Amino acid sequence: MALAMVNVTASVLDWVSSAFDAPTRAVVFGVPIDGHLVVEALLVVVILFQLTRKSYKPPKKPLTEKEIDELCDDWVPEPLTPQITEDMMYEPPTLESAAGPHAIVNGKEVVNFASANYLGLVGNEKITDSCVGALEKYGVGSCGPRGFYGTIDVHLDCEQKIAKFLGTPDSILYSYGISTIFSVIPAFCKKGDIIVADEGVHWAVQNGLYLSRSTVVYFKHNDMKSLENKLEEVTRRSKQPEKVRRYIVVEAIYQNSGQIAPLDEIVRLKEKYRFRIILDESHSFGVLGNSGRGLADHCGVPIEKIDIITAGMGNALATDGGFCTGSVRVVDHQRLSSSGYVFSASLPPYLASAAIAAVDYLEENPSVLSKLRTNIATLFNELSDVPGLVLASHILSPIVFLKLKKSTGTGKTDIDLLDSIAKQALEEDSVLIATTKRSSLDKCKLPIGLRLFVSASHSESDLLKAAASLKRVAASVIS
Amino acid sequence: MGKLYVEAKPSVDLNKNTEWFMYPGVWTTYIAILFVSWFLVLSVFGCTPGVAWTVVNLFHFAVTYHFFHWKKGTPFAEDQGIYNALTWWEQMDNGKQLTRNRKFLTAVPVVLYLIASHTTDYQQPMLILNTLAVFVLVVAKFPNMHKVRIFGINAGN
Repeated sequence: MALAMVNVTASVLDWVSSAFDAPTRAVVFGVPIDGHLVVEALLVVVILFQLTRKSYKPPKKPLTEKEIDELCDDWVPEPLTPQITEDMMYEPPTLESAAGPHAIVNGKEVVNFASANYLGLVGNEKITDSCVGALEKYGVGSCGPRGFYGTIDVHLDCEQKIAKFLGTPDSILYSYGISTIFSVIPAFCKKGDIIVADEGVHWAVQNGLYLSRSTVVYFKHNDMKSLENKLEEVTRRSKQPEKVRRYIVVEAIYQNSGQIAPLDEIVRLKEKYRFRIILDESHSFGVLGNSGRGLADHCGVPIEKIDIITAGMGNALATDGGFCTGSVRVVDHQRLSSSGYVFSASLPPYLASAAIAAVDYLEENPSVLSKLRTNIATLFNELSDVPGLVLASHILSPIVFLKLKKSTGTGKTDIDLLDSIAKQALEEDSVLIATTKRSSLDKCKLPIGLRLFVSASHSESDLLKAAASLKRVAASVIS
Repeated sequence: MGKLYVEAKPSVDLNKNTEWFMYPGVWTTYIAILFVSWFLVLSVFGCTPGVAWTVVNLFHFAVTYHFFHWKKGTPFAEDQGIYNALTWWEQMDNGKQLTRNRKFLTAVPVVLYLIASHTTDYQQPMLILNTLAVFVLVVAKFPNMHKVRIFGINAGN
């Protein structure tokens, strides 16, 4: 094969060189015309021609009359506002009190399973006292980004507190829960990097992946085999895998399905293929683990193995804002490169002091975690035989996720069915349950369902009431 | 001491990928690099000057074809990808054709070809390689080839 190729190239070269070295056929003014002279003369002529032309901008060709007419004929006018459909008129139930385990909706007291108040800290006196103290000392807003006179001592205290609680060197605070993850991802992942993300991540993570402009590869939801395949494929496909930054983005407890990511598996794969992990612990911070330290504590993985941990504080800690922890370099880089940190006003100081009080409470009362766990187990047990719905979440997840056993056909009818179940549960049994609502920008393909957020301050009767109500309503609606 | 520092007017080219070519001294540096590399090839390989010029010509072809006419887009993420479909040659001078920079860059491969073919006394196989190199480069730099992708080669994202 190689010999044939060499022969072919040799014969082609011979032919070409013989054409070039053809005996001079013409003599013009005593100069023998060789083949190469012709080529050179041609080149010089072409170049001189180009050099003498004037520079111009390539013209933008305007549309001809005919093209304009064609476009006008094709145009179909759209109304200024779309038709108001019935779903647009839908008004979700409005809370008229604090989002505690019992809330007031439309004047009635309901059992609230729609707020992610995992440790029952909404309305806790210690937290409210610390907020009131901070309000009296600092006022409400911080009036500035962290880099421009918006840093207050409570911010630094809160960062130190969280870092010490988790056992990491440092942490950084963000002022809005979901902006944490979609500022952290673009701060580290740039164009040309490779991200392997779970397909069930929620919209804020998807936004972060989009903003990073990196190459994103999705693996099947919580499927470690699929993750390994994707990692293998990505490592094989990239020409210089060592030179490209590679990340795995997962959530500890997935908001869209209630599954828990197997962190020990992921860390093993990460070390095998040399990727970095970005873990979003919004729903597992203060919930999983013996002391509430999150998924690393729960799986027994040393916290240093996870490169970047982010969490929104709006769930278990019952404040707002978010934080990100990791090594000193990880946190330090974000102080100048993270859009949400640099360009947004800092967290209001009373929320930061509420976060400190919440972490203090969690450290002093670890029994609240076991209470939460018993509540989850009770509800999980009770809901295992709801007609028409099947439990899709992990047994330890505080987000109890029920999906339809048999889909009614289209996504729209599924949503309508689930909404009617939630509405009936609210009106007849005073149980407030949420359906998963996905925005039109959300690309997650996981099935929608009913979500119950279990709190440590729910009593046994609340849980039994909710389970009984769901069974009754589901039986009547799904027939 | 004369003018030690040249005052460069800030160029109006907003494309960070190509604005470095507007500075005074770029042309001279380019020619100087070519000469220095010829000298290096001559001293390292110990070949005839003609073969050294051929090596410089072919290397110049490979490098300039890859960076001017093959790689698209810019290495700067802040421009949000507006140049992602344009090669460096097409981005130059904001797409204006036949500017002084472009004419200079078109003339350089031709001059290199003339030098290389003259110093090798038009022998094969150097001649055919040099001719191929200059042909491809000159055709790629025609204003009629602006944004043209033959057979869809290099048209992908």
